[in-house]
Amino acid sequence: MNRRRRWLLAAGGLLALVIFLLLQWWWAGDGPLPFLRRDRVWAQIQSTRIWRVGLDPSFPPFEFLNDEGEPTGFDVDLAHAIGRVWEVDVEIVAVGFDSLIDALKAERIDTVLSAYPIDERLTQDILYAQPYFDAGLRLVVRNDSPLAAKLPPGEAVEPERLRGLTIAVEWGSEGDMVARQWLREGAALTVRPFETPADGLAALELDATIDALLVDQVTFRQAEAGGRPVIAAGAWLTSNPYAAIAPKRGNELRNALDQALAELAQTGALQQLEEKWFSADLPENGTPE
Amino acid sequence: MSGVGAMNRRPQAARTLWRLHPALWIFGAFALLAALLQAPRLFQPAIALGEQQQVTTANPKMGVHTRLTDEVEPWKIKRTLEMVREMGAPWIVEYFPWAYVEEQPGVYNWAHSDQVIAHATRQGLTVVARLGYVPGWARPADSSPLYLDEERFPDFARYAAAFAHRYAGQVSHIIVWNEPNLALEWGYTAPDPVKYTAMLREVYPAIKAANPAVQVLAGALAPTLAPPGSPDGYNDLLFLQAMYDAGAAPWFDSLAIHAYGWHFDPDAPADPAVVNFRRSELLRAIMVDNGDEAKPAMITEGGWNDHPRWTRAVRPAQRIRYTLRAYEIAQQEWPWVEAVAFWAFRYPWDQKSYQDYFTMVSTDFEPKPLYLELQRYSRGTP
Repeated sequence: MNRRRRWLLAAGGLLALVIFLLLQWWWAGDGPLPFLRRDRVWAQIQSTRIWRVGLDPSFPPFEFLNDEGEPTGFDVDLAHAIGRVWEVDVEIVAVGFDSLIDALKAERIDTVLSAYPIDERLTQDILYAQPYFDAGLRLVVRNDSPLAAKLPPGEAVEPERLRGLTIAVEWGSEGDMVARQWLREGAALTVRPFETPADGLAALELDATIDALLVDQVTFRQAEAGGRPVIAAGAWLTSNPYAAIAPKRGNELRNALDQALAELAQTGALQQLEEKWFSADLPENGTPE
Repeated sequence: MSGVGAMNRRPQAARTLWRLHPALWIFGAFALLAALLQAPRLFQPAIALGEQQQVTTANPKMGVHTRLTDEVEPWKIKRTLEMVREMGAPWIVEYFPWAYVEEQPGVYNWAHSDQVIAHATRQGLTVVARLGYVPGWARPADSSPLYLDEERFPDFARYAAAFAHRYAGQVSHIIVWNEPNLALEWGYTAPDPVKYTAMLREVYPAIKAANPAVQVLAGALAPTLAPPGSPDGYNDLLFLQAMYDAGAAPWFDSLAIHAYGWHFDPDAPADPAVVNFRRSELLRAIMVDNGDEAKPAMITEGGWNDHPRWTRAVRPAQRIRYTLRAYEIAQQEWPWVEAVAFWAFRYPWDQKSYQDYFTMVSTDFEPKPLYLELQRYSRGTP
């Protein structure tokens, strides 16, 4: 009897294990056994050869509508470049920025690629690929500024190293907030607010009393790639990384995104896209010449 | 026999207990560790109210909608309200959800609202309380907490009366419900000005009986251009007129207005086809047309947003300029507006959406430039 019970217990345990493994398979890949994970979204992309990319075309130069009303921009080109790596067709789906994650969860799209900032709190619900752009705050100076040598790339920007300088900011922006914080903490510098980042940039170029400008990386890259005589000094002051987003169970898709982005970075294609979309002096909804 | 049996059992029991000891010890250690980890949550340190403060301001109509409903840490509640005072805003609007206070019928837990109101009054702030959010016991199963059957209006009235009574002398204004002209805020049912008027008819006398001095605000209508028959909303101008048509006039003392500017300058003229700051004037005109010109109004939500991607946002510099100008308009041009409480002072945590760009202070209490500019304005600094 005891022996029989042991056999029964062993058989029951084995059956439970089989059910568990089947559930793992059916659940499409979010369990603790990575070798059994199966990413349905990636499988669908592979079978249909269509990759549905969601973006909000209202944020040039990353995504906006061209004169024909078609989505265009850095992210659109990036999606097509990834599509070429995977040898799949890309279908761009326009979705409002605040609805992108819902559209992903509702399986209306396979991926969000829309200059979307990483939010660590959402990692329970979605998977971020490696970031492809950091839109954080930069200290921008003229090419010939001694600050550029004083603060080489990667060097932390500490307010005491800006002693006696005049810093331009966009009034009310994050740069303004950081500069005011420095002032409250006793930094010996002068802050000059400007109505727009473009005004601040113009002042940096033309007004010798302005030593530096605090702006986001998007503004800086547009200025730099557009041939303006400016350079970023030191490291990013804040980080605001943009990343493609796969659904929660899209682990294979996320890995494929990482691999494709790494390949594009290695071949220089990612850099070329930046040059293309940040060099253009874009009108509000224009296309680069 | 029984004695021998007991003797035999004792060593057995002792052995069993001995075998259990290590497990008990481990269990006990985990339980103690868990209790220690939870201790800070269970015993939030009391935060002293501090000295009685006064708000100094060049514009006594300045206000903000705070967002302390889900703020659990007492020091953050206090710091928020200190910063409101230091900014120079004498008014706050705050939400006191019915479901949080009366989880069981007739059993009230006032701990959180006591704390918020005590700190606010100690900071010299005038509190405008927004009431709503239905507990599970007062609504059908699986319904939205923003849904309330008409037969449950007396329950809501009892809560409002208990609130008015408890905070007599501390809370001067109560807003009945929020944005009843939106399906979302009306429990995902069609907004109904007649039903909302019935709610006022029930709640107003209950509040007044509990505390005759308190001012009851109605409306708090969402500015919307929703076309007739829209499942999402009911045009605010039409809704207000329909409220008057349903006989709402005797059942409120003041009209709560939501005045969002979207991407328009605050001086952009009022237009029924546009949502902008001066849409408030159109609501006021309806009050006057219906013989309610003696009643004041109050802007209990509103303002501008400077999110870089939201389609209704403005640039940060515009947001500062527009907000300052809006307070000026209320002060100089609108004697019928008692206060302007813009959305929102600070969130307990980042929303990670355009909503974060409505705030004046970051979640970690870092003042945004708008806050500092408003502070400068309230101090009369050019």
